[in-house]
Amino acid sequence: MSLYISATFKELTRKRVFLVTLILTGVFLLLFGIGLKEVTDIAAQESEASAKQLVDSMVFMILGLFFAQFLASFFVLFSTMGTVTGERESGLLLAVAARPFPRWKLYLAKWLGHAVWIAVYSSILFLAVVWTVHGITGLNLLAGDLVRGFALFLWMPLLLLTLTMLGSVYLPMLGNGICAALLYGLALFSGLVEGISSEGGVLPAMQKFTLLTGLLLPTDSVYRRSLYELMGGSDWAGLTSTYMGPFSIPSIPSNAFLLYSVVYAAVLLWLGCRAFSRKDL
Amino acid sequence: MTMIDTEQLTKTYNGRGGCRDITLQVPAGCIFGLLGPNGAGKSTFVKMLAGLHRPDAGRAAVLGLPLGRPEARRKLGYLPELFRFQDWLTAEEVLRFHGRLGGLSSRDTRSADFRRRARDTLELVGLSEAANRRVGGFSKGMQQRLGLAAALLLDPELVILDEPASALDPIGRHEIRVLLKRLKDKGVTVFLNTHLLEDVEALCDQAAFMYGGELLASGPLRELLGGDGDQGADGVNWRFRLGGWLPDAWSELSATAGRALSSELRLVESDDSGNVLVSTRVSDREQAGYLCALFIAGGLTLYESGPEPLSLEAWFLRMAQSRQGGIYR
Repeated sequence: MSLYISATFKELTRKRVFLVTLILTGVFLLLFGIGLKEVTDIAAQESEASAKQLVDSMVFMILGLFFAQFLASFFVLFSTMGTVTGERESGLLLAVAARPFPRWKLYLAKWLGHAVWIAVYSSILFLAVVWTVHGITGLNLLAGDLVRGFALFLWMPLLLLTLTMLGSVYLPMLGNGICAALLYGLALFSGLVEGISSEGGVLPAMQKFTLLTGLLLPTDSVYRRSLYELMGGSDWAGLTSTYMGPFSIPSIPSNAFLLYSVVYAAVLLWLGCRAFSRKDL
Repeated sequence: MTMIDTEQLTKTYNGRGGCRDITLQVPAGCIFGLLGPNGAGKSTFVKMLAGLHRPDAGRAAVLGLPLGRPEARRKLGYLPELFRFQDWLTAEEVLRFHGRLGGLSSRDTRSADFRRRARDTLELVGLSEAANRRVGGFSKGMQQRLGLAAALLLDPELVILDEPASALDPIGRHEIRVLLKRLKDKGVTVFLNTHLLEDVEALCDQAAFMYGGELLASGPLRELLGGDGDQGADGVNWRFRLGGWLPDAWSELSATAGRALSSELRLVESDDSGNVLVSTRVSDREQAGYLCALFIAGGLTLYESGPEPLSLEAWFLRMAQSRQGGIYR
């Protein structure tokens, strides 16, 4: 496994998408920091109430993490969409798969290799956003909230990775990328629409739609639960996120849903191992 | 021992292409050539042996073990046809990577023993100078050599090579031939899938011919090329090895024989001691017997008489055209 983790890291760092992602990440963090500083300075000059400043800083946290999860997903999609079919087409898999190494282990090792580095990248993004907001606005978070929010924030790209890798066993690289991006986009879109439509109260039809898309790909739901936990759960999150239009969190994914996301990932991973073991290369 | 043993091995792609009912045995210690035109199903068959494709039906054993067993794969070296190594690795790193995939521990692949082995293998395929160069800068020929090095790294008992000489220049091809002969001398069994008939002619003890997904012939190369010779509708090419030949006698003998034959006598080779090889096309064995009597009556010594063995190319074309419904002469 360690062999593949280091091999995957080398592979990732050699892909152009890695460089593009790093540059975009740097640009995003820089602009986010500058923007946040400007807004905070203006708020301080206008002597806004401290309660308002607190809510504003939470809003910035939510906005920052929204774009951070977007970048993490971009990184996952573009770096893993050709994991199996792409490598088969390029001939990379042929010499490897003939070795006395069970295919399912190879698949799992590839998943793990990607997962480690995706988690590292997502951690950097998450901590950079949280640290920037904390440093500029003075927003304090409880350690427990931070850990729960952080863990769920990391879980989101890993779910997407599992789906994208399974797709790469069946679909050509580009087709898989498009398919995974569409599913991710659908989940994200349903969350945004639910946020917009919730201003006059939560609509049952909208809730059903969000639930169904969440069952199809639970990334957005897990991300929203991550925000909810980070913002202090029921104490603060409702207050902050009710008036944020598309970024609002009108319905909080339950613990049962989180359990579903774990089962979802386990089943997809198992299906991937099985399909890869049976695939003609 | 039989290194490869298949029985009615079948693999098709939605009922089309691939190969069907392949029953084949490859004995230990030989170089076995798999021949056939494009689309014959050779690569499908080879990929099944290497564990890359799952058969639809039939049975197969490699090194005495059922297909795909890790124990068998450990003793198997495989060079795929269209492969690539990670561009960012050096040649030595590729071998270390494949050593790990082959079951060696990280510690093993860092040992001086392994380094020596990797260097020796790279030297064997003519890449010792490029050991520390990144694969991304390799030519196709160098990549092919590196693929061969990876296949040979762990001292396999059976080596399956899918077009090993493609992308190699004439010198490289010659070196590969020398290398394969050396492997055979070491007792390694080589299974060669190639389009290069001269390689098969020069190297292989046994061969098989596939066409349209079916195995049409297999066995020792001599037997495949010998047999009834180049038999066509109008007869068969026959050769005679004779002694006591005098150049002056040629025209008279040729004229006498010509009266009974539909084609002329051809002097294939001769030496200063009066030994010659003569060839002609005869309609049947009786006609060949008549010529033998004619040579003996003319005072020549008859050392050998028999159907002319086919060249591999002629055999290949005949096999292919017989399936296409054409006539090969």
